[in-house]
Amino acid sequence: MDELSFTSVGIDIGTSTTKLIVSRLRLGRVSGALHLPRYEIIERELHYASPIYSTPLLSQDEIDMDEVARILRHEYDHIGLSLSEVKSGAVIITGETATKTNARRVVHYLAERSGDFVVAAAGADLEGLLAGKGSGAEQRSTEFPGVVANVDIGGGTANVAYFREGKAIGTVTFHVGGRLIRLDEQGLVHSVSQHLQKWLLERRIPLAEGSKTTPDQLKSIASAMCGEMLDYLSKEAVDPSFRHLIAGSPPPGPLPEIDELMISGGISTLMADREVPESMAAIARYGDIGPLLASSLRQQADKWPFRIVTSGQTVQATVIGAGMQSVEISGSTVHIDPAVLPLRNLPVLHLEYTGIRPEDWRQAADEAMLEAAKYALPEAEAPCAIALSGAVIHSYSTLQMVAQALLDTFTGHFPDAKIMVVVCEHDMAKALGQALSIRCGKCLNIVCIDQIRVERGDYIDIGEPLPGFLVPVVIKTLAFS
Amino acid sequence: MEDREKLEALQKSTPARIGVGRAGTRPLTHTMLQFRRDHAAAVDAVYGEVDESILQQLGLFTVETCYGNKETYLKRPDLGRIITDEGIAVICERCVQQPQIQIVVSDGLSADAITANILDVYPALLDSLRVNDLNPGTSFYVKGGRVACMDHIGEVLQPDALVLLIGERPGLVTAQSMSAYMCYKPRKGTIESDRNVISNIHPGGTPPLEAAAHIGTMLKRMLERQTSGTNFF
Repeated sequence: MDELSFTSVGIDIGTSTTKLIVSRLRLGRVSGALHLPRYEIIERELHYASPIYSTPLLSQDEIDMDEVARILRHEYDHIGLSLSEVKSGAVIITGETATKTNARRVVHYLAERSGDFVVAAAGADLEGLLAGKGSGAEQRSTEFPGVVANVDIGGGTANVAYFREGKAIGTVTFHVGGRLIRLDEQGLVHSVSQHLQKWLLERRIPLAEGSKTTPDQLKSIASAMCGEMLDYLSKEAVDPSFRHLIAGSPPPGPLPEIDELMISGGISTLMADREVPESMAAIARYGDIGPLLASSLRQQADKWPFRIVTSGQTVQATVIGAGMQSVEISGSTVHIDPAVLPLRNLPVLHLEYTGIRPEDWRQAADEAMLEAAKYALPEAEAPCAIALSGAVIHSYSTLQMVAQALLDTFTGHFPDAKIMVVVCEHDMAKALGQALSIRCGKCLNIVCIDQIRVERGDYIDIGEPLPGFLVPVVIKTLAFS
Repeated sequence: MEDREKLEALQKSTPARIGVGRAGTRPLTHTMLQFRRDHAAAVDAVYGEVDESILQQLGLFTVETCYGNKETYLKRPDLGRIITDEGIAVICERCVQQPQIQIVVSDGLSADAITANILDVYPALLDSLRVNDLNPGTSFYVKGGRVACMDHIGEVLQPDALVLLIGERPGLVTAQSMSAYMCYKPRKGTIESDRNVISNIHPGGTPPLEAAAHIGTMLKRMLERQTSGTNFF
């Protein structure tokens, strides 16, 4: 088994559109025959992209789950894809759709019925990250010495993710999107998103559901939304009312300085159109202010200190990120019990052990687990994943002490657990897994994997072993919230 | 990227001595001293001996090959493949016959490699066998061994599989690198392509504990498939 490829799907249910992609990921052995096996994903190939569907809604607050399921079934049939072929991927509900009453149920329902190891993903940070990976911003940041930010602007939100040297370093999300105002070609306003309503009110702009609007009014709104967003990103002063357009709480620290800004999402597709929509009919051709936002962004792009580039993957950035970039693979020497996989949505408990002496491990592990009790799932068979970061442990006796300390504290804090999951940053999972397994006998199933970096607050999904000894992993990062 | 950053990135990617500067056409004094120090360490590793207390700690008895002395050892690899008659007598007396797994440790070309790694690797290897339900026979140490001493030992003890932990030819990066050679039913006439190896085992290379943990998996697979070497993959 020197090479193997598997199918990964991405499904994005956005504010205005729903789409699916199918990709082939190729695994290859990258280590020589004289070394421990080491496999990596050596190619990610886009195999199929579905047409773009309007997201089916039952009402303003509810997604039409049956219709989404029907679309997916139709697409799977159309390309002759069977569920058992799909070995990984992610379903993500994005933008304003994520706030619908049944969003959570829909995303889990679809994830479990889209393939063997398709994970449910949600959250503005993750959405921004996946878009930034799918758009190519992450890749660009490895080639370019500076910070590359990706803004994915769709119907409901603009999700910004910052990358430097291929690593995500921050995210922020704005309520800036085409569907925030829905209207018809006569200028009659059909709806205004509640986030935007607050902003309009504070700025004393009279625009509400049922009122008539004019091209000039809409232009000044679009121009202000885009302008202030770009001001905020370039750290210029913004009007206090802008706080209403920041989704969630504003990022705690200062935002990184942007060198290059990549734009993806539905709005970026419209930016290719060089004509400025003047008439109401042109503005409202999609029933929203998307075309105006796009032309505002294009007109204003030159004013900011960073270079603005349009992504190669415009409207599909998020779904491509979900399908092609969400999955990672573990190291190839791991200790797993395949019978207990896949494991989904495990909250991560993080233990950084650099500088901790072997005899202090027990206390460190105890404190980490005590803290984790706040978000772990004590009732579940696998209550959490214990992430260990620090240098590889080379001493046998140290490793034994570590294994004993972890096992004692884990069983102490989670007496009902059946599965102990450990995720090491560096190559030591097989040795640690064996040490744990010898100690606990048949009481616990041990899943110990490595070469995966996760942080406190992340969630991790671990799939079934691929060629029998390494596992696909999806990390759902919430580290920036 | 600045040139300096690029150079640093390259330097980080390899233990080779790149970007070390020069004085005229010659290396800098610092570079030269570093080179000579590393070379001396490599020579010491070849001529050194494994500390007896380490072998005692692991409960390993010692037998010798026909190498005679280090000078002969270096010139006559064939002698390092044959255990002395006295050695064979001790092995026959003290070892379990026809074990499932025979573990052998040998200095090979670097006694330092054994001294540096064996106290961690050996117990981890025993754990790895245990997890894989494999039974080791009686382990021992071979002084002056070459890789193919596996065949002579295999002929005498008739194990299903044998694993030899042996010091590698030292280089300038490290003199403490060890290999684990594995073979299904090594016997007289076994050829090199019948063996598998995990090489470069030291804290700066293949992580020693992880290597040990993986040996059990490889041996188990060898027994299942009743083969090893190039047929194995």
